[in-house]
Amino acid sequence: MIDKLQALKQQALLDLEAVSSLEELKNLKVRYLGKKGSLTEILRAMGALSAEERPKVGQVVNEIRTELEEKIDACGGLLEEKTLAEKLANEKVDITLPGRSVKIGHLHPITLTMREIKKIFMRMGFAVCEGPEIENDYYNFEALNLPKDHPARDMQDSFYITEEFLLRTHTSPVQARTMQSLEGNAPIRMIAPGKVYRRDYDATHSPMFHQVEGLVVDKNISMADLKGTLELFLREMFGNSVKVRLRPSFFPFTEPSAEVDISCVICGGSGCRVCKNSGWLEILGSGMVHPNVLAMSGFDPSEVSGFAFGMGVERIAMLKYGIDDLRLFFENDLRFIRQFK
Amino acid sequence: MLASLNWLREYVEITDTPEVLADKLTRAGTPVEFITYLGEGLNGVVTGKVVEIKHHPDADKLWVCSIDTGSGELVQILTGAQNVVQGAVVPVAVVGSELPNGMKLKKAKMRGLESFGMLCSAFELGLDAKLLLPSQRDGILLLAEDTPIGLDIKDVLGLNDVIFDFDLTANRGDCFNMLGLAREVAAITGARLNLPDFTVREEAEGSAESMAMVEIQDSALCSRFSARVLKDIEIKESPAWMQKRLRACGIRPISNVVDVTNYVMLELGQPMHAYDYDKVAGHKLIARRAVTGETLLTLDGQERKLNESMIVISDNEKAVGLGGVMGGLVTEVTAATKNVLLEAASFDGVTIRRTSRLLGLRSEASGRFERGVDTQLSFNALNRAAFLLEGMAACKTVPGIVDAYPVSREPQSINVCPQSINRRLGTDIPGKEMAATLGKLGFEVSEQTYGLRIVVPTWRTDVTCEADISEEIVRMAGLDNIEAHLPCLAVTQGGQGIVEEVQELVRDFMAAAGFSEVINYSFIHPSSFDKIGLSREDGRRQAIEIMNPITEEFKVMRTTLLPGMLAAASYNIARQNNRVAIFEVGRAYRSEQLPLKEFPVEKPMLCAVMSGRRNELNWNEQRDAIDFYDVKGVVEGLVTRLQLKDCKFVAGRSPYLHPGKSCELEVNGVAIGCFGELHPAVHASYGIGQSVYVFELEIEPLVESVKYVPQYRQLPKFPGTFRDIAVVVPNEVIMSDLMEVIEKNAGSLLQKAQAFDVYTGKQVAEGFKSIAFNLKFQAQDRTLTDEEIDKVIKHVIDSVSAAFAARLRE
Repeated sequence: MIDKLQALKQQALLDLEAVSSLEELKNLKVRYLGKKGSLTEILRAMGALSAEERPKVGQVVNEIRTELEEKIDACGGLLEEKTLAEKLANEKVDITLPGRSVKIGHLHPITLTMREIKKIFMRMGFAVCEGPEIENDYYNFEALNLPKDHPARDMQDSFYITEEFLLRTHTSPVQARTMQSLEGNAPIRMIAPGKVYRRDYDATHSPMFHQVEGLVVDKNISMADLKGTLELFLREMFGNSVKVRLRPSFFPFTEPSAEVDISCVICGGSGCRVCKNSGWLEILGSGMVHPNVLAMSGFDPSEVSGFAFGMGVERIAMLKYGIDDLRLFFENDLRFIRQFK
Repeated sequence: MLASLNWLREYVEITDTPEVLADKLTRAGTPVEFITYLGEGLNGVVTGKVVEIKHHPDADKLWVCSIDTGSGELVQILTGAQNVVQGAVVPVAVVGSELPNGMKLKKAKMRGLESFGMLCSAFELGLDAKLLLPSQRDGILLLAEDTPIGLDIKDVLGLNDVIFDFDLTANRGDCFNMLGLAREVAAITGARLNLPDFTVREEAEGSAESMAMVEIQDSALCSRFSARVLKDIEIKESPAWMQKRLRACGIRPISNVVDVTNYVMLELGQPMHAYDYDKVAGHKLIARRAVTGETLLTLDGQERKLNESMIVISDNEKAVGLGGVMGGLVTEVTAATKNVLLEAASFDGVTIRRTSRLLGLRSEASGRFERGVDTQLSFNALNRAAFLLEGMAACKTVPGIVDAYPVSREPQSINVCPQSINRRLGTDIPGKEMAATLGKLGFEVSEQTYGLRIVVPTWRTDVTCEADISEEIVRMAGLDNIEAHLPCLAVTQGGQGIVEEVQELVRDFMAAAGFSEVINYSFIHPSSFDKIGLSREDGRRQAIEIMNPITEEFKVMRTTLLPGMLAAASYNIARQNNRVAIFEVGRAYRSEQLPLKEFPVEKPMLCAVMSGRRNELNWNEQRDAIDFYDVKGVVEGLVTRLQLKDCKFVAGRSPYLHPGKSCELEVNGVAIGCFGELHPAVHASYGIGQSVYVFELEIEPLVESVKYVPQYRQLPKFPGTFRDIAVVVPNEVIMSDLMEVIEKNAGSLLQKAQAFDVYTGKQVAEGFKSIAFNLKFQAQDRTLTDEEIDKVIKHVIDSVSAAFAARLRE
């Protein structure tokens, strides 16, 4: 009996070695260990054995069963691994083919630049104020100390709608509007971004462009505060290594007035085509708010003072992104816009 | 303003290099834009006398000259010019000399004879022909016969000079002259300012008063009118030194009298005019307002039509000049002039500005009047001019000046407080130092108990208050010397308003949806409204018009963003973009009333255009064209993102959309925009040969819903059950009608119903379509049983069948 069992085991192990699929393995398991399997049959025949032999044979049967089960399971594990490996191998793709596209849109470089400027000033607690693009003469000129026929009006050749209304030539009217809405209550810390219009159209002038105006009014605001604020802004915008220089200038709504230059961001100040070899780039206009402007908008110039500044967004975007042609901004060529993220 | 460095040196000592001086001036508020070195590249050219001149033996047109350049030896030079004569003094480029065009002179052989250099024309020396007398423009430049020989030509012609091109600010009229600039240089460098000589000999008989009269009829137009009489005029060329200086400053020498008036204007800033005394009727000059219809033949030979906004100078009979802008031809000083009436007046800048703009006539004089001319200048100017002409032995001056000066302008004084100036500047400059700085600039300063009393010089009309004084202080002290400081301010509520926030949100959504942002001009061509097919009555045709547009292209303010967007789409489609998806967020300008009486409405809008293929070319993506449902999907996505609650899509009738593919978005029952396929006629009018899908929405109605803060709802605890039904209905039945019946009859267990398939074709009869819906049922408190759902489905099918003569598709 035991011999028979040993032979059965040998045969089972031989068969097991020949198994090449999970299907075959399943059949083999049924054949030997199933309800009608060979080992079970032998077990059934044990009834004919003597009482001494029975436990012995029973033990052998169990040993063989355990051994076979272990071996079959182990074989099953290997086969499963092998099958999976084959399946995965068959599923291999050409990873060099491009993926299904996700449509990504691009924001205009002016929007990106505008956002950056706004973000810097908002971090400093500035409020963003908007005003109309179709302005009246009063806010665009008179409230800014530019009475009718002031020669400085020539600096900003305007598009007129009527005698009274025009397209604003700068974002400065928002200064006057904001001051008047506050009825003499300082402090003011605002910027006014937006479109402005001047009657100029050539390679370096666009009849429409973007500006950001800024205004700070409170007790004891000085030119030193103006310098500190703009230096901080320009460092945030162009990096900490940028150098800032102020030059006296003239704007009717500020006194004293100053042009603000930064060290050339292209050549670092050594001189190049962009800075016309001067090493400096004119970046914004600024000054201490003219007492007339404060007074006209309901603030007492003997009590408070303030500074104001204005910058061209296209200019900053051109320097930031290395754009050398102003006209690109409004041509709306997607090959241009898609370059900005 | 161009300024000659050599000329400046006459009034102030300059030790700095031109670059250093330019930088100092720029930093003090008189910006130098360019520095030009005259005579750059011109080296070794000297003056020489033609000792002998004879024909070349073998060439008719060539001359052989013996030139004495003072070197002790005569030089043989050949020339082809025909204006050289014996005894002439000419510029000689000897062997080894260099010309501005880069030429280096070598010995040359011409028709067998050697030439040791060349005689030069003005052009070859780098002189601007526009600035030369006609006689100097052609041939070899003939110099005055008394010019010493062997001199460097640069010294003779004023080419050893450096020219500063100042970009002066509009407030600094006082710097539009050499003396004003010299005053700035002196104040900046600490050098002494030397004034020119104003002494007049007045050797003629008689008196100005008995010989001439001046009158101001309108003192608002002319605040001062002064004149001198000059007798026994001898018209000739002005001396070389004066011509040099005029040329250096960009003015063409003409004749001594005219040159002197220009010279004094450049030197002192007082524009002047010389009349032929004998042609001025009654020897009287009147400054008055022009009469509309009056005409004047100006110096440039043009007949000018005048009107009453202009200042005219007239004699007893006729207009003789356009005050401050240009003189008249009839009374012009000519070679035949014997006596001169010389004018120095102060005209109203605003009027001059309007006149010169109206006539398109800008002159050196009008530019100075616009910025303001010091009324105190007229006597100095007349005296200086007489001094100069007397010095040239060109006239005898009649004693006295006739002067009309109705309202004398006295110097203004300002009281300032140094502490307050320091507060404004953020500096700590002592009052004494301020006083010293102001003194150098010509202000008279006296210390008072309250601070400083400052008398402003009459030429500084721009200085009227303490803030102006603070600018004088800081520009001299140097803006670089202000120590930067951050303001100490109370904390305020920064940030931006909700409308701006929503615009930013919309931009981000559109970019995430695959659209790229464009920015179009706010003004459009008036024909745009025809191009997009707006009816005559359409309110969007009521566009605000620009009075002075640059071109028709930019004539009216846009009332819709669509024309700009279509132009941009057309531009890009023409440049081989197979997929164009663009958007713009910007304002449209509307007014109820035209012409504009009140501020118009500036509505922020979102406009988008898409056209071409849905996908970029890719191996695993379909190449379908974008259709109506792409654009609808974007609008739906936006509605979801903005949390718009009460909104509805209804069939639209927009004139520029395909009538069958046009939809309006209603929010709270009000249409806020429309979308759909562009009418083929419209895309054709923009030169686009393919279907285009567009939408335009107002932004403000979207703002309210953005503020909504989502409120959490409990997640379902029990699973949902899905059922599909497909119904066959006539083609005209629209999905939303079916959906309405389904939703109404499916009861509260229905969570969601979606149309997931629309089919027409062999499986259904002609004129019919099959729409398949997926219905999700779910309860909050239990798992639903099949029986429950079957009952609902049956009811739904019965209702749909009854409502639409529909049948269930097997």
